[in-house]
Amino acid sequence: MERSRDIRITRCRRRVVISSRVLGGPVWLVVSVLAVVGVFPLSAQGQETAAYYKQNCASCHTIGGGRLVGPDLKDVSKRQDRDWLVRFMLNPQAMIDRGDPYAKQILAEARGVVMPPVAGLSRDRAKLLLDLIEAESALEKSQFEGVKFSDRPFTTADVQLGRDLFRGTAKLKNGGPPCISCHTVRGLTLLGGGRLGVDLTKVSERIGGRKPLSAWLVSPATVTMQPVFRAHPLDAEEILPLVAYFEDAAKQVGDDDSVAPLAFFLMGLGGMVLVLGLFDVLWKNRFRAVRRPLVAGGEMRTSV
Amino acid sequence: MDNAQHYFDQLMFGVAPYLALIIFFLGTIQRYRSQAFSYSSLSSQFLENQRHFWGMVPLHYGILVVLLGHVIAFMFPRQLLAWNGHPVRLYILEISALIFGLLTLFGLVSTLVRRLSFNKIRTVTSPADIVLHLLLLVQVGSGVYVAVSHSWGSSWFAASASPYLWSIITLDPDITYVLAMPFAVKLHIVNAYLVIGFFPFTRLVHILVIPNPYLWRKPQVVRWNREPQARG
Repeated sequence: MERSRDIRITRCRRRVVISSRVLGGPVWLVVSVLAVVGVFPLSAQGQETAAYYKQNCASCHTIGGGRLVGPDLKDVSKRQDRDWLVRFMLNPQAMIDRGDPYAKQILAEARGVVMPPVAGLSRDRAKLLLDLIEAESALEKSQFEGVKFSDRPFTTADVQLGRDLFRGTAKLKNGGPPCISCHTVRGLTLLGGGRLGVDLTKVSERIGGRKPLSAWLVSPATVTMQPVFRAHPLDAEEILPLVAYFEDAAKQVGDDDSVAPLAFFLMGLGGMVLVLGLFDVLWKNRFRAVRRPLVAGGEMRTSV
Repeated sequence: MDNAQHYFDQLMFGVAPYLALIIFFLGTIQRYRSQAFSYSSLSSQFLENQRHFWGMVPLHYGILVVLLGHVIAFMFPRQLLAWNGHPVRLYILEISALIFGLLTLFGLVSTLVRRLSFNKIRTVTSPADIVLHLLLLVQVGSGVYVAVSHSWGSSWFAASASPYLWSIITLDPDITYVLAMPFAVKLHIVNAYLVIGFFPFTRLVHILVIPNPYLWRKPQVVRWNREPQARG
């Protein structure tokens, strides 16, 4: 009786050991996944609709303040039905690609600028935005009528300051990264600006001129720029010189700097060859000074 | 489709880093506890040492400098942006970083060619070595491609990638910083998580047991003394 109990306990222990061996790896992996998913719920950040509009829409659209890059949204849901608008907001490019006539009309009016995807926009949030736009459209003066910008003529000093801000030689007041980090414009410097973002030489013309470009810079709405400039927005006094610089850059003639990446790569390649040569010189005795004489000496002794 | 993309992005940039770190820490600790003596680079220098030089030296000097650059951009983004505030300084930094990135790539390709060209070394090559080599090739190749095609990485890393990585470290992941990055950048990030997750199962563990005293200990010379072979 006692013996059979011992056997049962031993079998039980063995089963536990075997199951922990078999499942040991996958179990802690699964537990880790569940822990991670549980600790960090996959929900979007809870933003109020008005704040969301200000952050994501106001740089291209006013409500009752006239056209910027995109159309004035006052009474937009009277011009098109809500379902269509929600579908467009969620994926403008797809609606254009599908050949939707109204989407193509919007594209033509925006001079070919496609509305970029909006960060964190869901179907529910799109409906809330339309509710907000309808409510704001009913007001005599919407809070989203748009910022008023100075329309004084640009000076040479504005262009120079804009150029310094773009290149980073003048710091942006709120600590944002200079434009050169990701963008280039014609005639900038030897190797040009960054190529993560688009070339900004013709940005003023592309976006529709001084007012839309100024509005856009208040809160850059591309998915890449938005998180960066949400924390470090451009100062109002920095926008005018930057726009002045962009308008001046558009007038520049001459070669573009499309060869700059190749020049940059060749400089890196040349540097690499030089460093390899340096390694060869630094370790010129690497096989000759110690090991080979010893091996040769050992072999001589063994052959005696 | 949009929802599928949303969850895929969350998985790649919001969950994968934690999975990779968990596997890294648990895996390296477990391996050290159970097989401490397997913590080695498993050097094949004794099997072949001529081509070995042209792989190992550029690879190690290259990767040390490039990794240090990533760490500095992560730790001190504002100071880095201040340094890059003059285009000449930006160009000097970027060209230097590219030189070391290309050295890494050169060393990595050399080691792979060497590993596949010599029978003795092929014999001591495990499947994990091959997987690791491919992962590192993707990592370094995408890094060099990003440096050249999506310049200037040192600046936008400080502006976008550094806050993203800090959001991961502070357990409040904000993936919006990387969502719209070009494919090569996303590949570089996700592949880095793969390398970190795969780390405990490879010879990369030697990074954790670098014999630092080698830098200041007295030199040692290993002498070979062969016994005369019996004749006849």
